[in-house]
Amino acid sequence: MVERQSPEPLSPLEPEFHVGSHGNFEHGVEIILTETRPGSIVQLAAWPGEEKKLIAAIRTVTGLALPDGAGGGLSDGVKSVFGFAPGKFTVADEAEGLAAAFAKVVTPAIGTVTDLSHGRIAIRIAGPKAEWVLAKFFAIDFALPAFPVGAGRSTTHHDIFAQIQRTSADQFDIYVFRSFARSFWKALCHASEEVGYEVQ
Amino acid sequence: MLITCPYCGPRDVIEFTYQGDGNRERPDSASQNFEAWNAYVYDRLNPAGDHNEIWQHSGGCRAHLRVVRNTLTHEISSVAFVRGDHQGRGDHGSAARRKAEDKA
Amino acid sequence: MSPRRADTGGRIDRLKTIRFTFDGTAYTGHAGDTLASALLAKGVTLYGRSFKYHRPRGLLTAGVEEPNALVTVLKGEVREPNIPATMVEIHDGLVAISQNRFPSLAWDINAVNQLGGNILSAGFYYKTFMGPVFGPLKGTRFWMFCEHFIRRAAGLGSAGTAKDPARYERMNAFCDVLVVGSGPAGLMAARTAADQGARVMLADLEPLFGGSANWSEESIDGAPAADWARRAVAQLAGRDNVRLLPRTTVWGYYDNNTLAALERVSDHKDQPGKGEPRHRYWAIRAKSVVLATGAFERPLVFPGNDRPGVMLAHAAERYANEFGVLPGERIALFTNNDSAYRAAVALKKAGAAVVAIADVRPELSPEIRKLAAEAEAEIFAGHAVVATEGGKALSGLKLQRFDMANGALIGDARSIHADCLLMSGGWSPTIHLASQAGAKAEWNAARQAFLPPKPTQSWIGAGAFTGSFSTAEAIAEGRAAGLAAAGGPSAPSVLPVVEAVPGDPDPAPVFEIRAKGKSFVDFQHDVTAEDVRLAHREGFVSVEHLKRYTTLGMATDQGKSSNVPGLAIMAEALGKPIPEVGTTRFRPPFAPVSIGSLAAERFGDLKPERLTPMHDWHLANSATMYSAGLWYRPMIYGHAGETVEQAYVREAKATRESAGIVDVSTLGKIAVQGPDAAAFLDRVYTNMFSTLAVGKARYGLMLREDGLAFDDGTTWRLGEQDFLMTTTTANAGKVMQHLEYFLDVIWPELKVHVTSVTDEWAGAAIGGPKARQILAACVTGTSVDNATLPFMGIVRGELSGVPVMICRLSFSGEMAFEVYSGAGHGAHVWEALVEAGKPFGLVTYGLEALGTMRIEKGHVTGAEIDGRTTARDLHLDWMLSKKKPFIGSAMMDREGLIASDRLELVGLIALDNLPFNGGAHIVEEVDEANPHGSIGHITACCYSPALGRHIALALVKGGKARQGTRAHVSDPLRNRFGPVEIVSNHFFDPDGSRMHG
Repeated sequence: MVERQSPEPLSPLEPEFHVGSHGNFEHGVEIILTETRPGSIVQLAAWPGEEKKLIAAIRTVTGLALPDGAGGGLSDGVKSVFGFAPGKFTVADEAEGLAAAFAKVVTPAIGTVTDLSHGRIAIRIAGPKAEWVLAKFFAIDFALPAFPVGAGRSTTHHDIFAQIQRTSADQFDIYVFRSFARSFWKALCHASEEVGYEVQ
Repeated sequence: MLITCPYCGPRDVIEFTYQGDGNRERPDSASQNFEAWNAYVYDRLNPAGDHNEIWQHSGGCRAHLRVVRNTLTHEISSVAFVRGDHQGRGDHGSAARRKAEDKA
Repeated sequence: MSPRRADTGGRIDRLKTIRFTFDGTAYTGHAGDTLASALLAKGVTLYGRSFKYHRPRGLLTAGVEEPNALVTVLKGEVREPNIPATMVEIHDGLVAISQNRFPSLAWDINAVNQLGGNILSAGFYYKTFMGPVFGPLKGTRFWMFCEHFIRRAAGLGSAGTAKDPARYERMNAFCDVLVVGSGPAGLMAARTAADQGARVMLADLEPLFGGSANWSEESIDGAPAADWARRAVAQLAGRDNVRLLPRTTVWGYYDNNTLAALERVSDHKDQPGKGEPRHRYWAIRAKSVVLATGAFERPLVFPGNDRPGVMLAHAAERYANEFGVLPGERIALFTNNDSAYRAAVALKKAGAAVVAIADVRPELSPEIRKLAAEAEAEIFAGHAVVATEGGKALSGLKLQRFDMANGALIGDARSIHADCLLMSGGWSPTIHLASQAGAKAEWNAARQAFLPPKPTQSWIGAGAFTGSFSTAEAIAEGRAAGLAAAGGPSAPSVLPVVEAVPGDPDPAPVFEIRAKGKSFVDFQHDVTAEDVRLAHREGFVSVEHLKRYTTLGMATDQGKSSNVPGLAIMAEALGKPIPEVGTTRFRPPFAPVSIGSLAAERFGDLKPERLTPMHDWHLANSATMYSAGLWYRPMIYGHAGETVEQAYVREAKATRESAGIVDVSTLGKIAVQGPDAAAFLDRVYTNMFSTLAVGKARYGLMLREDGLAFDDGTTWRLGEQDFLMTTTTANAGKVMQHLEYFLDVIWPELKVHVTSVTDEWAGAAIGGPKARQILAACVTGTSVDNATLPFMGIVRGELSGVPVMICRLSFSGEMAFEVYSGAGHGAHVWEALVEAGKPFGLVTYGLEALGTMRIEKGHVTGAEIDGRTTARDLHLDWMLSKKKPFIGSAMMDREGLIASDRLELVGLIALDNLPFNGGAHIVEEVDEANPHGSIGHITACCYSPALGRHIALALVKGGKARQGTRAHVSDPLRNRFGPVEIVSNHFFDPDGSRMHG
């Protein structure tokens, strides 16, 4: 971990972030909600025909070897990467400084690097009912065969853009715009009440 | 209505924004041909049947798509990236593109 | 005698007693009862008053198609009207009331409407209330007078006004096979598809799966059909690839096999579970659909067919077999087909006496005669019911010999004493969803029914839905449908063996018995056979017109029981066969849907909103928030006792005197990156950006393709290939789409990427004579003096340990700076700036003061860039480059866009020193009595502390030439008239000396 030089960034969820068990938890907690607070979130975009070089650059910086295909991705628990649009990828890292690291290897001939570490908030939803709760928000198929581990999806809940990466069979990381994050978090908590949830 | 985005797969129409008649030809930026500009800005086809349309997957990957949609039945016979140089989901994307090319 | 509960039988649990009230009277029922079955078991025969005539009505059916027994369910303050009692599952504490009656169900004042029955015939409203006035009691004005009374007397239940506190949810689902209907056909289809490994969803609107198996008393594989169904459901419930949805009405079939369903999750419970919704709206995308929706039994049309105690034959069978309730002690039947005989046997077995079976057919098969004998019922073949007797319950009926060939009634009527009359007019497949999905239904002469059309989407029919009314057929078709839907290979298999009573599925083509008295076709809307004939006589020959004129099939039941009899009567009147009359297409919803389920979480606290990084600080520091699109922004930071005007005047004044700070994080921000970024901006903006130096910002204007103004903002060059574009808050999304469109569709050769970074940056604009001193006091790592940070310059530094980017630009007209930091640090930087500003008298200001200062400066916003104005109209023609083409350049010089009488931006000063209103018109001469002659309108107005006057920006015809002249504001809606002086839009510091410093 790179030591933070600036003050700890504030989470937009703060006033609505209540650690503990909520909703119908007496019958068992089936959802765990948390904010993963990665130190870096970066968007990478390749020029047409340069995607392979960008994927190589991702491997150089993160050590993650992206699988082929639209929406492909993977996570090692510390760093995560997935495709969300043609030639475009989201990369997150627990440590800060990812944008600077990529700026060194993603040359102008390959593509662009856009730092979104402040602009996106990563919310993790895990547990046996994660697919059930997410289905209340997004019109995409969360079943494992349709949405394999590591893969990413871009979709929308009303006006809230979301990039979703499945980081394990029953765990999803949702990247939303910071300004919408509190609103989305509240809705996520509300939707999880039925099955009982815990905020960690 | 579902539109099968070559990148994201089939998605509900609420994720897409209609971006107009796909038959429009934009004159060269420096063109002074007023007739051509007028046709581009204002003239629209309104066929009863297959129509070339441009849709943006604004609630997904944000790519622009060339969609052939039947205005009578809503049947969508082909979807392809407007940009020829985008990569879709393996076979699926190229199949959609091939189908569109066959039609063209 | 009256209806009663049998000692055994049915799905109900006699050991569990449930207490509820209906119209204030306490009743008990058993677990498994519907409100209808529980009340019927207690001898209740009267359930509602009819729509127009207020006739007493009883239960006609046992299911979703019930037209008569509509009730209102009360939950606390919330009332939900028009629910069929047949669909309400009772629970402890249930409170239901009847509808459309006053003062009570038994004694209803409006029942006098029955006496004037001919007045309220088809087209009554059109004839009486439409068009010009001829005499005192006609015409549209008469309607306006009568409407209140009519709306009270005619109609269904009334909706409540209390806020509904229930929770509603939307759920998105995907499956390979959706099976609609869980009768034998649906269960077989679901089981077969699941065996193939398909992802299956099985939905049924009833609480209990099984459909007709629950009440048919047939046996399947040697077990009672209900037990077979129970076992099949248990097997399905244990599988991972099957989702069971009881109490779920699939109500809409849309394009691409998208279906809409309503799950009533907790209506049947005393209290919903914690966090449990009341209703859940399912949006289901199914690869294929199996429609196993069964069929509805049709009533026969004869005088008095609506009297309480007259019921559909299968409904009585259901009450007896499924709920253990006998709808009467002495039961008569009236039928045109074989299926009613099964009901006769069932009711006999359950303990009732079956006194007579009237069958319109003269010849009956030996099997049917055997069934009648089993029921110990006397058969009247070639007879019809011509009248019913009784008040709030049936006491008897009259039979007469009937000639099916010509509809004639022969000989004397014979009276039969009965407390319940069951009728069966044949069956109509429930083809609603297939009809919604596209094609037209096809008339089948043998079945006397509309059968489902050829599929236009990926659905497959099975069972009674297809016109195959026997259980054996249903099972075979269900299996075939399940196999086909799952895409499995058709392998031979042993189908379950069905033992059922015999019967011919084809009814006699008899729909109506024409005799004296009101014969009802549409029970819910009180449409009689005579109304249909009247419509025909008056020239309404199209089935669409018939529907609208008579309102046949238009109420909450959408004619589930009345459509086909209505059509048959119309066809007879027209002398045409039924298929030539046609049928109306069914549209969603199949059954009523709660609005709450459609709105789901889209309203109230769960509506999405956007908050800036400083939002909580604003709230903690007395800001009044204002919603701007989805954003929330401070309007003012009010002091105790201040009005809004006092607050913004104080804030604006303090800013011009010392300094003010405003949150500008909502401005749209787009990263424009790539080797062609500068070239792209040259095409997008009307002015040049390729000439902009790194570390500098420039104000830019965009046009639309048609040459009208689109948006404005500053764009900062952060690197050779790296620009930060800002847009107005309102247009951020539109500008982003505009850029993406041109990059993807028009100029794919440009190497440019655009990314929304609105949320990446927090922005604080600090302006005023002391702004620079404040920055100098808190910013480290850079100087902010004029040499380092000139107008439109950009520097990077640190503020309280946080990296910041500062651009010197001004919206307020003061020396001003926008301080950008990572959004996570936004509140920190804001607080540090506010703290540093304290010794200098820094104020925080909101949108009102922001607007005031921009009006004083004459800057344009969305109020002026309104989609109708050009750059010239707004005096921004200096920004239109002549060196290059740009978006809109080819179209912007069209004749109409450069005409001299266009609306142009001006300033206005109120000469009477009274406030203006936005939207008020400007006129040359005031005419308060007859306001006219608008030459323009006000786009924005305020009290200007800098000028000490009420001022406004306005768009006025030929405005530039009018500067220095007088005109008037004319605002008749708000009664504001007064003289104004037209001036330049640059009210304050026109040469910009303050911001240049």
